[in-house]
Amino acid sequence: MEIPLAQEIIFGLVIGSYIALGAIGFTLVYGLVNMINFAHGEFITVGAFVGYLAVVFGGLSIPVAVVVALAITAIVGWVIARVTFEPMNEAGAVPLLLMSIGLGLVLRNGFRVIAGPSRRTLPRDVTTYRFDDWGFFVTSQQLFIIGVTLVAVVVLHVFLSRTMLGIAMRATSDNEDLALVSGIDTRRIRNAVWLAASGLAGVAGVMLAVSQSANPNVGFGQLLLIITAAILGGAGSPYGAIVGSYLLGIGITVSVAFLPSGLTELNATMAFVVLIVVLLVRPGGLVNAEVRTS
Amino acid sequence: MSAPTTRLENLPIDAVHVGLALLVLSIVFVLSPLFVQPPSGSFVFFEVGVLFFLYAMILVGLNLQFGHAGLVNFGPVAFFAVGGYAAAILTANDPFQAVGLGFPWPVGVVAAVLAAAALGVLIGVSTLRLRDDFLAIVTLAVAEIVHGLIVAFRDVTGGTVGLTSVPRPIAGTTDVGGGAALVSTIIVFAALAVVFYGVFRRLSASPYGRVLRAIRADDQVTETLGKRVFRYKVAVFVYGAAIAGLAGALLVFYNGAAAEGFFTIDVTVIVWVGMLIGGAGNDRGVIGGLAIIMGFQLLTRFFNDAIPFITQDQFASIRLMFVGLLLMLIIRYRPEGLWGDADRLGVES
Repeated sequence: MEIPLAQEIIFGLVIGSYIALGAIGFTLVYGLVNMINFAHGEFITVGAFVGYLAVVFGGLSIPVAVVVALAITAIVGWVIARVTFEPMNEAGAVPLLLMSIGLGLVLRNGFRVIAGPSRRTLPRDVTTYRFDDWGFFVTSQQLFIIGVTLVAVVVLHVFLSRTMLGIAMRATSDNEDLALVSGIDTRRIRNAVWLAASGLAGVAGVMLAVSQSANPNVGFGQLLLIITAAILGGAGSPYGAIVGSYLLGIGITVSVAFLPSGLTELNATMAFVVLIVVLLVRPGGLVNAEVRTS
Repeated sequence: MSAPTTRLENLPIDAVHVGLALLVLSIVFVLSPLFVQPPSGSFVFFEVGVLFFLYAMILVGLNLQFGHAGLVNFGPVAFFAVGGYAAAILTANDPFQAVGLGFPWPVGVVAAVLAAAALGVLIGVSTLRLRDDFLAIVTLAVAEIVHGLIVAFRDVTGGTVGLTSVPRPIAGTTDVGGGAALVSTIIVFAALAVVFYGVFRRLSASPYGRVLRAIRADDQVTETLGKRVFRYKVAVFVYGAAIAGLAGALLVFYNGAAAEGFFTIDVTVIVWVGMLIGGAGNDRGVIGGLAIIMGFQLLTRFFNDAIPFITQDQFASIRLMFVGLLLMLIIRYRPEGLWGDADRLGVES
């Protein structure tokens, strides 16, 4: 069946939304802690399970579960980062990256031991709104995912542009040494970054639990897409990550129309090709022009 | 200074000679009507042993890349897989699904090495100018792309089912059944692993290896000294790719099949963790590290049945948790590994 372009774009916006929630946190950590966190996907999985437990066992509504997951995942992520990454802050990019791979293995398999590989879905109450004149429909669930992401983006923007802590974060991301001599407490910044990145991952997790399921691999499955989106937008730039995520999300769904049938499952693979091409042609990302080669 | 070790070092033989001698002996043994029939309870040791020698081959390449030259290659499994599938596609006779061209197995071996090396050139030339952590991401993404393509192009690769009816040249020399073929296989693979260990050790101990370590320490200074840093990097990347491709071919000829399950990211993780435990850059140490992690995998197999209330799946997960924990502890408390040189690796311990 031929799917109209407008419909593909709606699907793309949904995919872009949860990639964005992951990619903003990933890129904040990259920009301010100078590490590529391969365990970021596991923080998302924490959010998915917290959201699931809050709804199924806590009897909370999904919007309340989002807030609960945000808070709990933020704290869990911050504690984990304090124990694992912060003590080796000065070790350099590769040891930190290896550390995060080890952490990811421990967490991901820990979820499997406790929760098993089964997929847990949230109860769904979905209304479909049809816009037949434009050739697309959108469900209440999809609107919810896009809406939550927009709220998160607006809150993030206000935080980064209006609060002292947010401005200090941007300054540190731009030039850490300069920020240090200007009297910015970089330790405090790092704490804030871990809280914010994990909190957003928690929200992303609930969105994934809503649209797919809560399972031990749900966050890890998004990781390479998140990295791609972050690099597409210029690693370290939160606004770039948002743009990159939506470009990637829409790119993934629209490319289905151009891929021969039978190869449509390749669109995730295509995303990695995009990642490599961007790193080679424009290592600073599409938005940010800073060159990050050696 | 320990006298026996020094005397050993001074002998005019090295791992290459030993390995070639072993290889000749093993081939003579395999082609002879002789065979060794191991007790059936020991098969698991031989199966893990076969993988150990194949992973050791990947590891000597990876150690040259990361341990000596500092190239963060997170996709060795990509070359392993390309080699395996190149060999399988060219040699399989009438596989259940997918392409099998039915050429004799030596063609498959050559094709595996060439295909993996070609991918190595392609990836190396295009990505080796990237910074460490970005190179890590790109190579990881390459491995995912290769895996994705294998699953998607099921008309060629058999998709998730894989390719069957691949020739088994070593197993084919004996028809006594039992574990005899397993013993023959492990002897040949061990000899090959020693040969390549020796070749890569010579390479890293020679002035060539000194250039690589200089590149690891500071590639701009090395460039200033007139060394073509980029060429060295690409060459090292291609050596590692070629040997991983060969290992992939050996794997499919041992199994008589190629399947995407042989070539998952777990291979990369095991080889990397082995290298880091042993101490990246120490040629002997990394093999010791691989032995430790593979030994751990082997021994824990026996615990599975001993512990009640734990399913197979949970057990596999617990094992991977330990691998991850080991990786974290090594990176945190002993970044130079058990036998590595902290100064040379530029880490603080």
